[in-house]
Amino acid sequence: MPHDPFAWLALGGAALATPILLWYLIRRPQLGRSTKVILLFGIGVFPIITATGGNIAGYEATKTRKFCGSCHVMTPYAQDSEDLESTSLAARHARNEAFGDENCYACHADYGMFGTVTTKIGGMRHVYEYAFNFRQLSVEEALPRIHLIKPFQNASCTRCHSTLGPSWNAVGDHASSAEDVRAGTVSCASIGCHGAAHPFSKPYHASPEASLLGAPARHGGAP
Amino acid sequence: MRKLLLGASLLTLLALALMVWSVFQPTPMPVMLAMSLGQALGTGAFAMFGLAILIDLRRSRRVRRSTGLPLLREVLAPPDRSDPDTSGTYPVPETPAGPKPGAPT
Repeated sequence: MPHDPFAWLALGGAALATPILLWYLIRRPQLGRSTKVILLFGIGVFPIITATGGNIAGYEATKTRKFCGSCHVMTPYAQDSEDLESTSLAARHARNEAFGDENCYACHADYGMFGTVTTKIGGMRHVYEYAFNFRQLSVEEALPRIHLIKPFQNASCTRCHSTLGPSWNAVGDHASSAEDVRAGTVSCASIGCHGAAHPFSKPYHASPEASLLGAPARHGGAP
Repeated sequence: MRKLLLGASLLTLLALALMVWSVFQPTPMPVMLAMSLGQALGTGAFAMFGLAILIDLRRSRRVRRSTGLPLLREVLAPPDRSDPDTSGTYPVPETPAGPKPGAPT
């Protein structure tokens, strides 16, 4: 059963509209003023409530790890995030309450005023890619081909790790590269110091040390 | 017009079914169908309902005209204050310029 109150709002609207519509379809009453008003609620008001609640609930559902992991090629990414013993960046962040079940979206969403919109447009590209390029592949075949369309933005990291805190700057490598990190010329993850967020999918970046040893410039992570 | 309303009712039921499906199974296919096809069907159904009401209004207007009955607009219009038959519904203020033309003497 859904937990989202907007989902219940959608179900409530549908529950109210359906009897009205069935009554009109089965009984086919005379089209008087009262019938028109009742139909206004059955075709207009209640379905609009359902659409509003359903859209918000649907949008919230698209942010969950379960949603992202429902495409079979994303299964290892979701399983790694849920693995309590995994030490990957993704898993460690998923164990943080601020990320929780929405850890995929929290890191891969674009930052900025229109970040949500551009993220969702990017999501439609994922649907296209899955439907036409990845659907027929096994997970083993797909993993080497899955890649980010653009380098992972440091802004996704610095929205939480502001680079201004004393504990962050107490780390020598942070202090020496702070300006570059803020400017985005040095990456935090992937080929940066902290390695790939999903190292199992990028053997070149299995450890941070590997990335520092001049591994090929490939950007890891889920699309 | 009846066909329009029947079609609108059926489309609304379809749209509702898609939206309810996405609520119970929030996976990519149902959610995308609900947010695209479901929205389109629901909007289309509501437009059909609006069109049916518009057609009905125009038809009733035509019938009223042809039978000499007052139009709905005239029936619902507020009474003319200068008309002694209907001005009783409003307190007519005294005007210093004297009685209006047409007022009872």
